[in-house]
Amino acid sequence: MTTGLGATMVRAGRRLLSSLPALFGVLVFTFLLMRVLPGDPAVFFASGPNAGKEEIELIRKQMGLDKSVPEQLVFYLSDIGHGNLGRSMMTGQPVLKDLRERLPASLELTFTALLIALIAAVPLGVIAALRPGSAVDHGVRLFCALGVCVPTFVSGLLLIYVFYYLLGLAPDPTGRIDVFTSLPPQRTGFLSIDFLLAGDVEGWWAACKQLILPAVSMALFVIAPLARITRASMLVSLGSDFVRTARSVGLSWRKVVVTYALRNAILPVITIAGIVFSTMLGANVLVEKVFSWPGVASYALDALLSSDYAPVQGFVLLMASLFVLVNLVVDICYGIADPRVSIE
Amino acid sequence: MRFVSLRLATCVLATSAMLLIATAPSQAQTRAETLRYVTGASVNTLDPNIPGSTRESFALSMSTYDRLVSFGRKQLNGKWVFDLDTITGELAESYEVSSDGLKLTFHLRKDAKFQDGSPVTAEDVKWSLDRCVTAPILGKAQLLTGSLTSADQFKVVDPLTIEVTLPKPDKLALPNLATVYPMIINSKVAKEHATADDPWATAWLKEHTAGSGAYVVESFKPGEQVIIKRNEDWNRGSPNKPAFFKRVIVQSVPEPATRANLVERGDADLVLDLQASDVQSLEAKGKLKVISTPQYNAITFVSMNNQIPPFDNVNVRRAIAYALPYDDMFKAALFGRGSPLFGATWADGKPANGIYPFQQPVKLDLDKAREYLKAAGLPEGFSTTFSFNVGQASTAEPMAALVKESLGKIGIKVDIQKLPDAQMSTQINEKKLPFYTEGIVAWLPSTDYFYRNFYTGNQRWNYSSINNPDLAAIAQEARFEPDKAKYEEAGRKLNAMHFDLMPQIMLWQPNQDAVMAPSIEGYTYEFHRQVDYRDVSRK
Repeated sequence: MTTGLGATMVRAGRRLLSSLPALFGVLVFTFLLMRVLPGDPAVFFASGPNAGKEEIELIRKQMGLDKSVPEQLVFYLSDIGHGNLGRSMMTGQPVLKDLRERLPASLELTFTALLIALIAAVPLGVIAALRPGSAVDHGVRLFCALGVCVPTFVSGLLLIYVFYYLLGLAPDPTGRIDVFTSLPPQRTGFLSIDFLLAGDVEGWWAACKQLILPAVSMALFVIAPLARITRASMLVSLGSDFVRTARSVGLSWRKVVVTYALRNAILPVITIAGIVFSTMLGANVLVEKVFSWPGVASYALDALLSSDYAPVQGFVLLMASLFVLVNLVVDICYGIADPRVSIE
Repeated sequence: MRFVSLRLATCVLATSAMLLIATAPSQAQTRAETLRYVTGASVNTLDPNIPGSTRESFALSMSTYDRLVSFGRKQLNGKWVFDLDTITGELAESYEVSSDGLKLTFHLRKDAKFQDGSPVTAEDVKWSLDRCVTAPILGKAQLLTGSLTSADQFKVVDPLTIEVTLPKPDKLALPNLATVYPMIINSKVAKEHATADDPWATAWLKEHTAGSGAYVVESFKPGEQVIIKRNEDWNRGSPNKPAFFKRVIVQSVPEPATRANLVERGDADLVLDLQASDVQSLEAKGKLKVISTPQYNAITFVSMNNQIPPFDNVNVRRAIAYALPYDDMFKAALFGRGSPLFGATWADGKPANGIYPFQQPVKLDLDKAREYLKAAGLPEGFSTTFSFNVGQASTAEPMAALVKESLGKIGIKVDIQKLPDAQMSTQINEKKLPFYTEGIVAWLPSTDYFYRNFYTGNQRWNYSSINNPDLAAIAQEARFEPDKAKYEEAGRKLNAMHFDLMPQIMLWQPNQDAVMAPSIEGYTYEFHRQVDYRDVSRK
C-alpha cells in the first residue's frame, strides 16, 4: 500500500512539474489577449462628469498602460514573480486580496453543489442502470434532461421566487450570510467551517441556509452528466464477467452492486466530476450574480466588461492553477479507487 | 450510541431555539434603526476623488465627510429635489459673497469636530481645498468649472475663517464647493499618512476616512458592502440632532430581479436601480412607496457625429430628427417613465425659454424626413450603424430596434451595434461612432454649463462633435453674465441654434425611480443621483 501511495505521489509530482509550462503559456496568452481586446480601460474608468484628457492619461499611467506592450509584459511577469497580481480599478484593491477573499466563497459553493450533485447523481445512475428501459430509467432521464435544459440562472430565479418570495422559507438571496449576522473569526474562509470552529451553531445554520439555494441550482445543472456517466459505466460493469461470477456464487445484492460493480464503475465518474468541478468554478458566474454571491467568477466577469486587465489575468491564472490541482487530485483518487492505475 | 447522539441533537436544537428567542427583540429594534440600501453597483473607494470611483462612492462620501456648504432642497411637482439656488452652510456657519462677486468668506462652525474629536479648523479646510485643485484627482476638473484652479485662491484669515478669491465673478464657484469632491479632510491625520510620492495621502484616504461627516465607516468590503454607523456628535443637518439611522448598510446585489424581491419582501428598505418593468409592477401593487423624479440634470440622446458623412449634412440630421418614432421609443425603453424632450409646439417658431434641456418641436413625420433627405441629396437613403453599450441594453435595445425599423422606411439601413461599455466609451472618445445613443449628466445644471461642456471643443463629452464658433462664443459669454435677463436671452439664442443645427437629438430625461418601504421618509433626489443617507428617516 505504501509503495502504491508513494508511486501515486511521484506521479502527481511529475504531473505538477509538466504543467508549469502550460501555466506560463496561459499567463502570456491572457496578457496579450486582454491587450488585443478593443476598449481602453482608462477611458472607461475616467467617467466622472468632468473627466477629460488629463484624467484619462492619469489612469493610463496608474494602470501602466502608458508603456509599450512588451515592457508591460516584462513588468507583469516580474510582478507575478513577486506574488503581485496588480490592482483592480473596479474594487480599488490588490487583485490578490480580492481573489483571496472571494475564492473561498466560490469554492464553498462549488464543493457543496458538487457534493449535492454526486449524492443525487450516483444513486440515480445506479438505479437507472439496474433497471434499464424501465419507467425508473426514463424518469431519471427526464429529470436529467430537464436539469440540463434549464439554465442555472433560470432555475436560480425560480428557486428564489418559490422559496424566498412565495414561501419565505429561504433567507434573502444576498450573498453568503445575512447582513445582520456577525461573522466568525476567519480561519479557513469557508463560512460553514469557520462558524463550526467558532462554536456558533446559529451562525452555521444561517450560512448553510444561504448556501442551499445557490448550491442546488448549480447542482441541478451538473446532475445530468454525472448520472448519465454513472449509468453507462454501471451498465458495462454489471454486464461484465466478474459481476456474473459474483452473482452466481450467491453474494448478497448489496455486495454485488456496491462493492464489485460500483467500485469498478466509479473511475469515469471521478474523471467527469473533476472536469465538472473545474467548469463549475468558472462557469457559475450566473448563479453568483443571481444570488449576489461574492465569488471569483462574477468578479472576473465585471472586470472583463470594464476591461479591467489585472483581475481578469489574475482570475485566469487562478483557474489554470486550480485546473492543474484538480487534475492532480483526480489522479490521486484514481490511485485509491483502482490501484492498478499507479503502475506505469 | 444512538440515544446519546439524539440527546445531543435535542440539546443543540434547544440551545439554538433559546438563542433565537433571546436575540429576537434586540434584533428587531436595531432593524428599525438600520437602513438597508441595495444597489447593483458598488462602492470602490472611500475617497470619491480617486479616478475610477463609482457613483455609490460619491454617495457614501456625502455621509462620511462634510463640505463647506451644501445644496438645499425644493419641491418639484410634489417631489423633493436638490436646489441649486439655495446654498446653505454645512461646516460653514455662514458665508458672505462680496459685492463684486470676487471674494467668498466662510465662517466655520465653532462646535464642528472631526470624527477623532479634534476641531475642524480653517487650516484643514485650506489643506482639503488645496488638495482638490493640486493633487492629480477628480476634484481638479470639477472645481475648474467654478474658476477654482490654484491653492493661492484659498486663504486662512483666522482659525475659523477662510477666504476664497476668484479671478472672475463665477456663478458656479459656490455651488462647486457643495459638490462631492471638495470634502473637508482632517489634515493632521491625512498628513501623517502622506509620503514623498503621495503628499496628498491619496493611497491612504482611499481605504480610510478622516472626516467630520454624519457617519463613520464600520466595515468596507469593496464590491460587496459597506456598513456605516452614526456619528452621534454630528449636527449639521438639524441643530442638536444627528442623522436618523443608527446604521446604514449599502449592499451590492447585482441581479435587478433580486433587488425587486428584497424590497418587496421588506428585507431591503430602499433601492434606486430597478428595471422599469419591475417598478411599474411594484407601483401597481401599491404596497411600497415609489418616488419617481425626472432626473432634471440628466439627458438621454440620439447622437450623430457632425464631422462624419453623411451626418455632417444638417439636412440628414434633420431627417433623422423627424424619422424617430419618439412615442414608441419612450414607451418601449422607459415605459413612459420620464420627461419627454420631444413633441413641443413652438407657437412663434421660437424657444419658449432659455433653459436647457428643453422640449424640441420634433415628432415622427416621415414625409418631412423624406423631404430633408432629398434636400441633402440622399433621396435613396444610406447605410449606417447605431451603437449602444451593454450596460444600457435594457433601455437601449428595444429603442435601437425601433430606430432601425423606422429609419428603414425612409431608406436608411441601420445595423445595430451592441458594444461593451469600455469599448463604447473608447470609440466615443476617439470620435469614431457615427450614430449612437448615450446619456449625460451635469451636477450643476445651468444652461451655459450644458452648452460649454457638451457642445464645444474636441473632447469626449461633445458627443455630436459639433464645432460651431458662434454657439461656443455665446455660451462662453453667458458664463459670466451677471444680468438675469441677458442670460435668459443668451439661453434662448442657444436653444434656437440647437434646434436649427440639430447636432444631436434630445430624447428624454429618465425618471429616477426610488422604491422604498412605506415607512421611509425624506427621500430627496440629489445632484449625484444617489441616496443621501442623511436625508432619509423612518416613521
